[in-house]
Formats: sequence, structure tokens, C-alpha cells
Amino acid sequence: MRERELVRAVDGVSFAIAPGERVGFLGPNGAGKTTTLKMLAGLLYPSAGRVRVAGHVPQRREAAYLDQIMLVMGQKQQLVWDLPPADTFELNRAVYRVSRADFTARVGELSELLELGDLVKKPTRELSLGERMKCELVAALIHRPKVLFLDEPTIGLDVSTQVKVREFIRDYNARHGATLVLTSHYMDDVAALCPRVIVIDQGRLTFDGALDALVREVRPEKRLTLRLRGAIDEEVLRSLGALIERTEERVVLQVPQDALSAAVSRALAAFDVLDLTVEAAPLEEVMSELFARGRAAREGRADAADAADAADAKEPSE
Amino acid sequence: MRTLRTLPALFSLGFASATAYRAEFVVWALTSTLPLIMLPLWHAVAAEAPLAGFSESRFTAYFLTGFVVRQLVGNWASWTINFEVKSGALSQRLLRPIHPLWFYATESLASIPLRSVLALPVAIVAIALADPTHVARDPLHWAMVLPAVLGAWAIGFFAHVAIGALSLWMHQSIKVVDLWYAGFFVLSGYLIPIAVFPAWLQPLPRWLPFEYVHGFPIDLLTGAMSPARALERLGAQWTWVAILGLLALGLWHRGLRRYGAFGG
Amino acid sequence: MIARHLAVLGASLRLSFLLAMQYRWDFVLDGVMSIAWTAGAIVPLYLVFEDRAAIAGWTYGEALLVMGWFTLLDGLLKGAINPSLVTVIEQIRNGTLDFVLLKPADAQFLVSTARVHPWRLLSLGASLAIFVYAFRLLGAWPSPGAVLYALATLGAGVLVLYSVWILVISVAFRVVRIDNLRYLFETVFEAGRWPSTVYKGALSIVFTFVIPLALMTTYPAEALLGALEVERFVAGWLGALAFAGLARLVWSRSIAAYTSASS
Repeated sequence: MRERELVRAVDGVSFAIAPGERVGFLGPNGAGKTTTLKMLAGLLYPSAGRVRVAGHVPQRREAAYLDQIMLVMGQKQQLVWDLPPADTFELNRAVYRVSRADFTARVGELSELLELGDLVKKPTRELSLGERMKCELVAALIHRPKVLFLDEPTIGLDVSTQVKVREFIRDYNARHGATLVLTSHYMDDVAALCPRVIVIDQGRLTFDGALDALVREVRPEKRLTLRLRGAIDEEVLRSLGALIERTEERVVLQVPQDALSAAVSRALAAFDVLDLTVEAAPLEEVMSELFARGRAAREGRADAADAADAADAKEPSE
Repeated sequence: MRTLRTLPALFSLGFASATAYRAEFVVWALTSTLPLIMLPLWHAVAAEAPLAGFSESRFTAYFLTGFVVRQLVGNWASWTINFEVKSGALSQRLLRPIHPLWFYATESLASIPLRSVLALPVAIVAIALADPTHVARDPLHWAMVLPAVLGAWAIGFFAHVAIGALSLWMHQSIKVVDLWYAGFFVLSGYLIPIAVFPAWLQPLPRWLPFEYVHGFPIDLLTGAMSPARALERLGAQWTWVAILGLLALGLWHRGLRRYGAFGG
Repeated sequence: MIARHLAVLGASLRLSFLLAMQYRWDFVLDGVMSIAWTAGAIVPLYLVFEDRAAIAGWTYGEALLVMGWFTLLDGLLKGAINPSLVTVIEQIRNGTLDFVLLKPADAQFLVSTARVHPWRLLSLGASLAIFVYAFRLLGAWPSPGAVLYALATLGAGVLVLYSVWILVISVAFRVVRIDNLRYLFETVFEAGRWPSTVYKGALSIVFTFVIPLALMTTYPAEALLGALEVERFVAGWLGALAFAGLARLVWSRSIAAYTSASS
């Protein structure tokens, strides 16, 4: 056998997911999200460590396990290109031994929820990307999997289809109590679907918890946007918080959570305020800051390792 | 002028892609060993007595030379065209300021150096094994080798382009290529030397293009005919080049007009 | 488990047939071509035997029997075996093989039954025609026992053919670029047209032991003629089983390598 280079795609990632939970994997490109997902599904073997899903060792790919799961990949399709999706559904019916009655009922229900109508009878090659993804979901759910792995399910879809697909997945979880494990580049997917997120960066688990907690931890500040009129005392303005954006009449400030109410009342007192909004920092920004910190921490660690052989350097606290 | 200036770049592109896919390349080349698999049968036949003037050694010379010829004149433009029509890549190619046929032609020609490397050892073995009576010795023969090989390549190329152009109408024309190859295998001397054909069947290949792609260059290299006869057949070969060339260009341009009207 | 696999087989065949109907003309052309091809393949034999009565110990009629079995296996190869191979290689390249590996059925089974080209199976009819022609030339029809014996021998040949094909896929797992490997195998397979006694020296060893073409076409023909000893029949089957075992082993190792290396 030829030698293979061992690449540590994932290292020391450890977590447990309860039945019916909805969990999102976040991380920059190449962080190991898909690798982790594939390990859970049983497509990749971990070289060390233990994976158990629904009481099974995934990599054995026992029928009893595979009957309970499904993997949906936004960039890959299982539908036969030259045939209508309905024919692929039939094949899956045979593979998963779904009774004719259940099959008809489920396909009917799923197509209705996704508003597919007669599209399932048109050759797949004639469908739009969004229509294809919806049909992929039907094909994936005919056997009612208890665990659903979704790898970038909304990639490339237009915004309204994205929303539709999200709602549908959410609804499937609510109806059947299925566990959802999702990776996505779109933070909106994660925000809409997953109360819990697991952040994987460079193959390491850097956060596991509620999404709001993650946001609070990374960026405890709120964003205060003011539209002002008249003279502005720059001194006062700066004392309110960190200035992010400043145009003639629009000011964006970053203000720590606990100083927020004080800052708002001072602003109202000091300026002629036309409009005022308070919001959390956009998720995308939170994420990029998180990943940037991860990078900085690693570089810092590398420096430390130069100074002294810090083999067991602790994860720097975020 | 512009086309001429781009040719070297196109050649090096073709050469680079041939080298990049060399594993596939070797397999393709080995695939054309089919005639060599026929060889044992012919040997078994000729072991008892020569067949239509073919002794064992002449069969060997014939099929080894055939392998070399095949390496030199191989074409696959119809598959490329089919693929590009289906994938839509043709639309992009049409935006370039060079006629696409130049690209297909150079892609094929640029792979000849690599193919020659594969063919060379076989050629040497062929010369070593064959008794010298099966190698052309007349300089007139050798003078005709280059135009004959070029003509053989051109017939194949234009046939491929003509068939490839059909995909602009039919969505895909891969099966028509199969039809061409069916004719080629039987009537070009690829599997059966034309000389072994029964007398009543002998004239048929003379009136079809297939033999000029394969059997004729072999006969030339093995010196199996008089220079006068060879010149006559060279003329016939180039007539076929002209006919197929016109057909290919005609189909291509009409097809493109249709492609432009209906989209890919 | 067996019921599931039968159901999958049924569904796959249905899918293949529907696909064949999608590109109807292609497949009709396929059928016509394979018959024309069979007829064309007899030409060299015909030409050769016009000149003399026997070659390498075989008469025209006897050699036609080998050709008949070859045509049957060729139909099987191009109609049932190769289409699946093409599908799998496409799936490896697109990364959609993951879907197959996640199906609760044996992956080798799923892969082997992925696609059939129904029209190609027409050459089974062509092979029957060759047999009728051959036996009329030979002037004697085979006994039912001989036919059964020949079919039993052919079984071993089919098993070897299938195993070689699994080996080809396994190589494809490792080196996806070489997806034209199947053409090479098809080319080598062509050598099964002639009785194996035609091959001398190294080739005869290769075609008996390495790629046992002799077992696929010559043995069944000899069985029809009542010239295949039981020893060779048993040896053929033992060899075929060994081949199948090796193929299964290489296959499962390739899957393991695939799942631990890809991402």
C-alpha cells in the first residue's frame, strides 16, 4: 500500500447531541466542519477517538444505523439527472423498504409542504437549482430519518428559497423530533435553525453553546446608530462609546451592554436625535472576529512555543 | 495572421494537457493494441501456410506498423465537440478570436510527440522482428510517407469534426462516431488486412475513406506496393481529405448558425 | 435483507429501463450496432476458414461456438456490467458515491446493479443465432446434458468477468483519473473471440491464469462439444471462486481507503 500523509482535519473535538436537538457547525472554510459531519454519518473513519450516533458506531455502516439517518449535501445531488425526481424517490423506497401507503402519503405531504406540485414528474435536468434542492429534501426524507445531516443545504439558492428550505427543515424537526446537524456558510441558516452552535476552527472545537451566548461572548457590545441634526459636541460623542462610522448626520457607536442605557439617555440629552436604533453586531461580523481571534491565538501560541516548549499550552480564554 | 501567431501557444497548451493526463494517455494508447490481439489468430493461420501472400512475419510487420500509424493519426475531436456542446463550453470558445477548429486540430497534433514516444519502441521492435522485405526501401516510398500520414490524420480529423458538428443538431452524436469506427474497424485494414479480403470484396474499401486512414500508410511503410500505385492512392487519399474537409466545414458552419439560433 | 436487495434490484432495473427510454434512439442504435458488430466479427473467421479446414485444432463450426459464447458475454459486459462501472466512476468523480455508501444495502451490490443498458442485451439473441448456425454446420445438435454442462461452465466464466470488473472499479477508487481503464479491459477481452489454443507462449499463460479468457469462452464451447474434462471444469470453478474472493477483498479495502482519505 502506498503511504498516505496524515492530515489532522479534526483533532480533540468532543461533544454530545441530544435526540431532537438542532445543532449548527460553524467555522471558516476548511475548518473541519464537513469532515466532522462525514464522520458522524459514517463516511470517514476517525483515526483515533470514538464516535457514536443513535447507539451505533457510524463507520460500521450497519443497515440498522443507516435506516435512521440521512445526509443532504447542498453541492451534491443523488437525483438521477435524466429522470424525474419521482423515479429516484421510487428507488429510495425500495432501498429503505418504505411501504407503498407510507410512501405515497409522505411524498404527498413533503411535496405539498415544499410546494412542488407536478415538478417531481419533470426530468431533473429541467429543474432550477432551488427546485432540485427541494426534491433532494423529499428524496432524503422518504424513510423519515431520525438524524438528519445537512451540509450547506441552502448554498447557491435565492433568498426566498433559502427561507422556504429553512422553514421546511425546522418544521420537519418539530413534527418528527428528528435531530438536525447542520453546517452552513450562511449565518442566517444557523440563526434560524440552530439554538446551539459548535464552532470548529482549524479542526479544534473552540465554542459549544447557545448562539446568543456566543455572540455575547465574542462581542458583548451593542451597536448604537444615531441620526443627528444640528451641532454635535465631538467630545461627548466620543465619550458614549467606540466610534465605528461617522458621516454628516449618521453615527454608529459600539457600546458595552451595561453602559447602553446610560449612553442612550446621554445621547438624547446632548443631541438633537432624529432616529435611534440599537442592535447586536451582525452575525457574519461576529464570526469573522471569532475566527480572527482564533488565528491570533494560534500565532501567539506559536510564539510561546518558540520561547519555551509549551507542548501543553492551555487554550487561551476568549 | 492572428491565428498563425496563436498557434505555438495552442500547441504548447495541447502538449501540456497531454502530459498532464499521461496516465490516461498510456491507457488510451494501449487500447489501440486491439489489432495486436488479432495477431495470434493470423499467426495460427499463417503457421500452416501463408494466407493471401501473408506469412507470419508479414502479419507481424503489418500489425506493428498499424499500431505506430494509429498513434500518429489518432483523433478524438468529435468527443471533445460533443462534450463542449453539452457543457456549454463551446459558447465560450466561440467568443475567442480564433476559429475553434484550430483548437481541436492543435489539441490532437500536439499530442503526437507523446504518442511517438510510445510508438517508437514498437516501431523498433517491428523493424527488428520483421524480415527486411517488409520495410519500404524505395526512397520514393519514404518521400510519400509524410503527406500520406498527414492525409490520414486529416481524413480522421475532418470526419470527427463533421460528426461532432452533428451534435449541434442532435444534442449528441456519440453514437454516430461509433458508426464511423465500425466502418473503420472492418474496412480500413485495422483488424483485417484488405489484401486478405476475398477478391469480390476487395474493390469496396478502395471507394471508401477508411482505408486511407490506416491501410494505405501501412502499405506505404511496409513497401507493399509500387511507387506508381502509391502515388495514385495518395491522390485518392487527398481527394478524400478535400471532400471530408468541405463537408466538415459546411456542417460546422450550418450547425453553428442553428446553435446560435436555439442556444446550447 | 434478501428481500430488500431484491426490491432494490427491481427498482434499479426499472430506473435503467426508464433511462433507456429517455435516449431511445441512442439505445436502438446501440442494439443495431451490436448486431452489426457481431456479424462483422464473424467475417475474419469466415475468411480464414475459406482457405483451410482447421486452425489450431478447431474447425469453422467449433470456432463459431467460441464466438457464440463470446458474443453472449460481450452483451453481458456492455449491457449489464460496464454501464454500472461508468455510473460508479462518475459518482466517485462527483463525490456522490457518498450517497450510495450511506444506503442501508450492500455497497458492492448497489454499485453492481446501478445501471443496465437493456438494448445491449439484444446481443444475447445474436449469440443464439450464432449457435444455431454453428450446430447446423457441425451437423449435430448438443445433448441437453451438454448444454447444462456448458452453462455451468459459463457460470464460472461470468463470475470471473464480474470479479475482474470489480477489480477495475477498485482501481478507479484509488486513481480516478484512469477512467478509461475499462476500454483497456474491453480491448483485452476481445481476445476471447478466438479459441484459446490460438494463443502461444506467454499469451496463453496470461489468458488462462491472469485474465482467464479461456475459462470464459473456450471452456464452455468445449463443454458443448463434450471435450471438457471434469478436472478442468472443477479447476475452472475453483479459480473463479478464488478470483471472486480476491475481488471482494480488494473492493472492501478500497472502500476503507476511500472513506479514510476523502473529505
